[in-house]
Amino acid sequence: MIEVSHLTKRYGPNTALVDVSFSVEGSGVVGFLGPNGAGKSTTMNIITGYLSATSGTVNVEGHDILDDADAAKKSIGYLPELPPLYMDMTVEEYLGFMYDLKKVKKSKKEHIGQICRRTGIDHVYTRLIGNLSKGYRQRVGLAQALLGDPPVLILDEPTVGLDPKQIIEIRNLIKTLGKTHTVILSSHILQEIEVTCGRIIIINNGRVVADGTQEELAKTVEQPRLLVEIEGPKEKVAGTLKALPHVGSGELMAEAEPGVWEFSLDEKADARREVFQMCKDNDWTLLSMSGRHNTLEDIFLRLTSGTVDDRMASDQGHDKKDTRKVIASAVGLTKPQTDDELSREPKAEAEKSPETDAQASVKEEN
Amino acid sequence: MGAVAKKELRQYFHSPVAYVCIGVLMALFGFFYTQVFLSGSSSNISYVYSNMFVWCMLVIPILTMRTLSEERRSKTDQALLTAPVSTIGIVGGKFIGSFCVYAVAMTLSLIPSVVLTFVGKPNWGMIFGDYLGALFFGMAMTAIGIFVSSLTENPIVAAIGSLGISIFLMVIDSIATAVNNAVLSKIVSWISFSTRYKQFTSGIFDIPAVVFFVSITAAMLFLTSRRLESRRWN
Repeated sequence: MIEVSHLTKRYGPNTALVDVSFSVEGSGVVGFLGPNGAGKSTTMNIITGYLSATSGTVNVEGHDILDDADAAKKSIGYLPELPPLYMDMTVEEYLGFMYDLKKVKKSKKEHIGQICRRTGIDHVYTRLIGNLSKGYRQRVGLAQALLGDPPVLILDEPTVGLDPKQIIEIRNLIKTLGKTHTVILSSHILQEIEVTCGRIIIINNGRVVADGTQEELAKTVEQPRLLVEIEGPKEKVAGTLKALPHVGSGELMAEAEPGVWEFSLDEKADARREVFQMCKDNDWTLLSMSGRHNTLEDIFLRLTSGTVDDRMASDQGHDKKDTRKVIASAVGLTKPQTDDELSREPKAEAEKSPETDAQASVKEEN
Repeated sequence: MGAVAKKELRQYFHSPVAYVCIGVLMALFGFFYTQVFLSGSSSNISYVYSNMFVWCMLVIPILTMRTLSEERRSKTDQALLTAPVSTIGIVGGKFIGSFCVYAVAMTLSLIPSVVLTFVGKPNWGMIFGDYLGALFFGMAMTAIGIFVSSLTENPIVAAIGSLGISIFLMVIDSIATAVNNAVLSKIVSWISFSTRYKQFTSGIFDIPAVVFFVSITAAMLFLTSRRLESRRWN
């Protein structure tokens, strides 16, 4: 159990974290996501007691990280961004030292042997850490975090520097660990978070901007949309679509092929059957229908760096947007929209921190 | 504390640092012992140790320079500071590790005296006084070196910083004589390591000197642990 409440961290005049609160209970993997300099590592360093917050408290397994430091630290296994390895030690010596340092009370040889097998470092056990590749060093760091079988694991980018096969192995290991441990995992790799984490906390400019499962986050960002391609008379199709009871509003995206119109629909409820029925009744051809769900990437970009549409608009130039607007209002599908409405400011934009320069001024902890 | 001390010792003896430092000290001891033996006076072994005072004070900063600075630089301090060990425990372990290397050198320096007992009658009271005195000032200097090492991320800066302090502590006597003000010269000679150590080389087990060196050690280790604590806040 980890309870982080109202953490604020200032480095001189710079603010790295602003009122960060969340709590993680029971086992499971929580993904900690954010752009560089958002405050991920700072938060992790504070949870593990390496740094102290300017204000706010951290409670791990019922122990305050400052007042009851030893008990709290004993229940945490921490793999920092840069694994804290001594290059002049062998894996054996290093794990032996960490075992002693953490005051683990298990059969030493057996416990270390078991962890080495789990992390796949048993065959480099007698080698000097300085001679190991980055992937192996990362795994030795992970092995160190697992020593003493702590209930809470904090892993700061655990798969950095691993090859694809190792990444899959470590991800699977983390998933397995997540069944019995509370794991907080930070990563830049969205796909990794997507496959390993049940819950995602997104942090930007030192603030928590989203917290929930991927589905929950997707909903807060945008309603799911339905994309359909219909062959038929443009105005009539548009008019009928708009009149469907489960369709909120629609937008003509483009003419996909001659005479084939692509619409994007805001659904009030599942409108797929209605759309199909409509085409059947009017003898139009329904060429495709697909739901557009927000990927984690969409969510992440929206919450951390403006909107996806903004990015697309700037990628594609303004021509397409203008064309869309003209077509849409020409067919009377949508009410005349302003340019702003088309590029849709998401909710997150309004919640965005007033200190936009905070990110730039966030100092890495060193 | 034990784990850190063990690790320190292992690192010292797995790298050339300990061997070079001990070797250099042994060579110098050998040189001064030879001088004493050539003069034919086995009772003058204090001459060896009072000369070695300077060299010991210069070697200790080399032993302590990387203790905490290197941990900080390679970020391995994250492992130490997030482990269930107090900062006093970490600093204590570091101190024990460095001090043990120095103590090994000092203990080895007794070999010529032991050999001497087969051919003569060395004054063991005086030799032990020298030996203990050397351990006490070495203890204080080790603690100072570790403190300086905690102030920087660069071992070279730590070495030069603590060498500066150790040289200052050695030349402070000449400052004391140069100062006209009686109070000031008293204060200066009060902190002089060599004045305190001289008591030991003349065979006196000087309690105030012991208290002085032990207090310096404790104060420095305490400051170092506060220094590690304070890093978490900035």
